[in-house]
Amino acid sequence: MTDQSKIHEAADRLWQAWETGVPGAPIRDLLAEGDVDAAYAVQEINTKRWLGGEERILSGRKIGLTSKAVQNQLGVGQPDYGMLFADMEYMDGEEIPLSRLHQPKVEAEIAYVIAAPLTGQHITMVDLMASIGYVVPALEIVGSRVAGWDIRITDTIADNASSGVYVLGQSPKRVGDFDQRMCGMVMTRNNQPVSVGAGAACMGSPLNATLWLARTMAKAGRALGPGDVVLSGALGPMVPANPGDVFEARINCLGSVRAAFAKE
Amino acid sequence: MTDIAKLAEIVDEAARTATEIPQFSDTKPLSVDEAYAVQAQSIQRRYARGERRVGIKMGLTSRAKQLQVGVDDVLWGRLTDAMREEEGGEVSMAKYVHPRVEPEIAFLIGKPLSGNVSALEAMAAVQAVAPALEIIDSRYKAFKFDVGDVIADNSSSSGFIIGNWHAPDIDISNLGMILSINGVAGEIGSTAAILGHPVRSLVSAARMVASAGETLNPGDIVLAGGATAAIPMAAGQAVTLDVQNMGTVAFNVVE
Repeated sequence: MTDQSKIHEAADRLWQAWETGVPGAPIRDLLAEGDVDAAYAVQEINTKRWLGGEERILSGRKIGLTSKAVQNQLGVGQPDYGMLFADMEYMDGEEIPLSRLHQPKVEAEIAYVIAAPLTGQHITMVDLMASIGYVVPALEIVGSRVAGWDIRITDTIADNASSGVYVLGQSPKRVGDFDQRMCGMVMTRNNQPVSVGAGAACMGSPLNATLWLARTMAKAGRALGPGDVVLSGALGPMVPANPGDVFEARINCLGSVRAAFAKE
Repeated sequence: MTDIAKLAEIVDEAARTATEIPQFSDTKPLSVDEAYAVQAQSIQRRYARGERRVGIKMGLTSRAKQLQVGVDDVLWGRLTDAMREEEGGEVSMAKYVHPRVEPEIAFLIGKPLSGNVSALEAMAAVQAVAPALEIIDSRYKAFKFDVGDVIADNSSSSGFIIGNWHAPDIDISNLGMILSINGVAGEIGSTAAILGHPVRSLVSAARMVASAGETLNPGDIVLAGGATAAIPMAAGQAVTLDVQNMGTVAFNVVE
């Protein structure tokens, strides 16, 4: 069991790094080893702080650790989640200021926009597919408030699942329009292919990851509902971003999306 | 002087008897030209035994693999009818040294193609496209080689399995690929990993056969190159490749 005061101390440490923009020490030393519940408690403290301050509103959720390789790296058998806030969203091709980034890395993902509440004890794949309004390609720019990305599972969960900012593509499709598992993905940085993959790289299918999220959020008291964006997880390896870089992701049968980083 | 005929005999015997050999580069590295000469002569030995050429394979078609081997061009090898394995059938480990399998796209040539051609000209010569699995099997110890070694060894080409042919009017630039072993996804990728677009591999194929005085002829198969890392084969595996919009290609590995 992790001590309550330590949970608050961890939240303060991450908050400090967020406020100053300077990544700090990991927080895992404050929590019992692998105490995922305590790590989510840390995340929830800062979520409440942001929402209480009235300057941020929730826009959705992100799912992390959706690839087998990354799960193995962190020694976990399941994904994690973090909150998305409306101010994290940038438009396709809009210049993203460096001040918003913390050691940024870019991932290509499928984003689901939820159109109906997903509540209750027994959410099924059928419920999920029926509740999805539309699907768009997305680039997630993850970040870490932990210096050098020196993270273990509790560090990343406490740090809002290493969330950063995101960009949605503007070619909405219905969930039945294409094969979520088989769609190919290629991401370029300054026109050079740097990451390739397919839907299956995200827990076998991005819908599998999203169903896990819907169930987990319903239990955690932050159920998915109309208008929520779900960033479902990377379809290929993540790639570090440098000032001036332009990334483009193309997801076959879904469309494309771009993230442009400011030069300075 | 490098004894091309002698080296051709060594690699051909290694392939024929599924026996591993030491790297030529351990004693004297081959130049790219010498290596292709060894390959051509070793393939002549196969033709003399009654095998016939049915196409070619492209290799090092990803930047990552080129860097690994330390070259900045693709390479190629010949496919013969004896290398064809049956789709849905059994592949015997006994035929190979230490085989690996990788997911590919195959082109079926409908019109002669050779020389410096555009992507448009290359696609105009294609009659059909199919999902394919290539069995690569370096005859060298520990699957290690330099560029001269691998070219001399027919670019590790040793077996191939072709799935259903499709009309070439589908977009093949970014098709999702899942290579599974016993139903579990092992490698996941996209045809975009093949030089950014598999047609670029076909353009290179036309250029490379021309430099050897050959042509891609109607009926020839061109394997475009691996789209993901290769997976080591072992008896008992059920190997399946799913390609977006193209279907599956599969085989079982036996002793």
